[in-house]
Amino acid sequence: MNEMHAREWIESYKGPRVRIMEVCGTHTHEIFKLGIRNILPEAVTLISGPGCPVCVTPCGFLDEAIWLAEEKAVTICTFGDLVRVPGSRMSLADLRSKGHRVKIVYSPMDAVDYAKAHPEEEVVFLSVGFETTTPAACLAVSLAKESGIGNFSLLTANKTMPKAYEALKESADVFLYPGHVNAVAGTRVCEDLVRDGISGVVAGFRAEELLRALAVALLGFLKGRPFFANCYPGVVKKEGNREAQELVDRLMTVCDGEWRGLGRISDSGLTLRESWKDFDARKRFDMPKIVGHNHPACRCGEVLQGSCRPVDCPLFGGACAPSHPVGACMVSGEGACSAYYQYGGFQI
Amino acid sequence: MNRTVTLAQGAGGRQTSELIDRIFKAHFANPFLTADDAAVLPPPVGKMAMTTDSFIVSPFLFPGGDIGKLAVCGTVNDLACMGAKPLYLSCAFVIEEGFSLESLERIAVSMAETAKKAGVFIVAGDTKVAGRGQADGVFITTTGVGQVQDGVRLAGNLAAPGDAILVTGDIGRHGCTILLARDDFGLEAEVTSDCAPLWQLTEAALKKTKEIHVIRDATRGGVGTVLYEIAAESGVGISLKSEAVPVLPEVDGVCRMLGLEPLYLACEGRLVVITPKENAEAILEVLHRTEEGKHAARIGEVTGEHPGRVVLETRIGAKTFLPEPGGELLPRIC
Repeated sequence: MNEMHAREWIESYKGPRVRIMEVCGTHTHEIFKLGIRNILPEAVTLISGPGCPVCVTPCGFLDEAIWLAEEKAVTICTFGDLVRVPGSRMSLADLRSKGHRVKIVYSPMDAVDYAKAHPEEEVVFLSVGFETTTPAACLAVSLAKESGIGNFSLLTANKTMPKAYEALKESADVFLYPGHVNAVAGTRVCEDLVRDGISGVVAGFRAEELLRALAVALLGFLKGRPFFANCYPGVVKKEGNREAQELVDRLMTVCDGEWRGLGRISDSGLTLRESWKDFDARKRFDMPKIVGHNHPACRCGEVLQGSCRPVDCPLFGGACAPSHPVGACMVSGEGACSAYYQYGGFQI
Repeated sequence: MNRTVTLAQGAGGRQTSELIDRIFKAHFANPFLTADDAAVLPPPVGKMAMTTDSFIVSPFLFPGGDIGKLAVCGTVNDLACMGAKPLYLSCAFVIEEGFSLESLERIAVSMAETAKKAGVFIVAGDTKVAGRGQADGVFITTTGVGQVQDGVRLAGNLAAPGDAILVTGDIGRHGCTILLARDDFGLEAEVTSDCAPLWQLTEAALKKTKEIHVIRDATRGGVGTVLYEIAAESGVGISLKSEAVPVLPEVDGVCRMLGLEPLYLACEGRLVVITPKENAEAILEVLHRTEEGKHAARIGEVTGEHPGRVVLETRIGAKTFLPEPGGELLPRIC
């Protein structure tokens, strides 16, 4: 099915109402950028799910990072997007303006390099992300250990997707699976989800790949049985990236994951194994349990489950905008609220 | 002479004169540049345009240019955007103590070459040396004076529905080059900056027709920011065909990997030209005959719909808003 056929097919869809959830921030962004929402028939609803690592990082995680900086004087190394996400009391940007060290890095290895160059500082990397990002964090820890770098650790909030699909089962009829995640994790787990009644299509990121995946999602839905299809076969293989999987398995173990908006999901998180505890910031600094408190009016949680559109949140566009975000979904360029804010309101 | 710049060379005495003579006078020499306190110049005929800009680019040397070339092009191009032939430039240097003299000379040579190409004289200058850590390598401020061509009236608030929007070449190359040169992302690609003086190209277009409404150089913020500015100033909507916007495959590839929008990457040798649509083809033909404009393209039109906003017709034929500019350029993390 080529691009234009796929588009025509989508536009001419006459089937029953269907909810398709894209669970990847990059998909959300590309779908808006290409204007795909503006060509969908009324019966097809796209929901932006919890696939942006910044968006699902809970408030309490930022509070933990802030505790480390304030109480233990550590240097925080983080991906740039996290800097503006509000914690219960403040964001990392506020923390930085108070004189604490918050460094933006582009990969976990940059944080290791920084730790090596600043042996007098304790450096903590904020390890967020899914199957795609976690191997890089594990590699950084592994290399830090090999090089004898003793002032580097991770504050982990790493997550895996499969349990989230189960938790969101009632929110969508078909999932558009994130191609990058499946490239690492493989497709077996998605195939297994079919037995639990969960349907999905692995999608790539270019216009033709997204359109084809959407068309296949609609075709599959019309057949009325749970299904799985890999529409990104050039990149995504059944086995995934074994090397990356083994690396993560060597360093990390499954734990419960705390998701902003979705709450605690059993076995959806990853944390460092006991044998790597020297690199686990929570253990290294004997951190107490810290519980975050979201802004009471923020509806990011419902947005992430697809039960509320960003524009239906009372804060959207006023109290909460990309220049002064209240919720995480407004911070990252890939968050649903940010995408609605930037591209939204378009009527031909 | 030492191999690096010293504080003494900024103190105003003999060592300052030596530095100026050896590096700046040697390369900038022209009849208007003297040792006196100010340049004495024949005034432009008719209306005069004047502009100033400061340049702090890291790294100061990048594929396709350096801070010196940039400092001349930036100011010359700002004059060109007002339809003014660049005549004179002044330049003020703030140099960090310890900066290599060889690099400084390289920057001066590059400024001299670019000024010559642009047909402008560097007629006045200043040199200060800042203590180590008080500046980052070298900062340059250039001020330019130009002569506005007869019958030309260009301004950001003159775009009108029905006008065509042209861009004088492929976009985003300078921003992409600098991102790669900083080596933060471990990415490599064969991209060189588009940094170039654009008066010849502008003059050629204005000779073809003076009926051009807006010319803007798409520097910091890129073509997208310029279009949003024009949409706001003129109270019009702008409709872009995304497939018509020329982007090198290498730049497109880097943008895809980092999640960046080429329309928001800086250019240093590209103009956005807005003209009544009946002139568009004739101007393009002229631009295509110039070195800097050979990849010029018509990318969209000015409309009366969605005033203040830029609407993109995407490659699948759907329409969507181009997100408004703002914020830092951050690569995506998933």
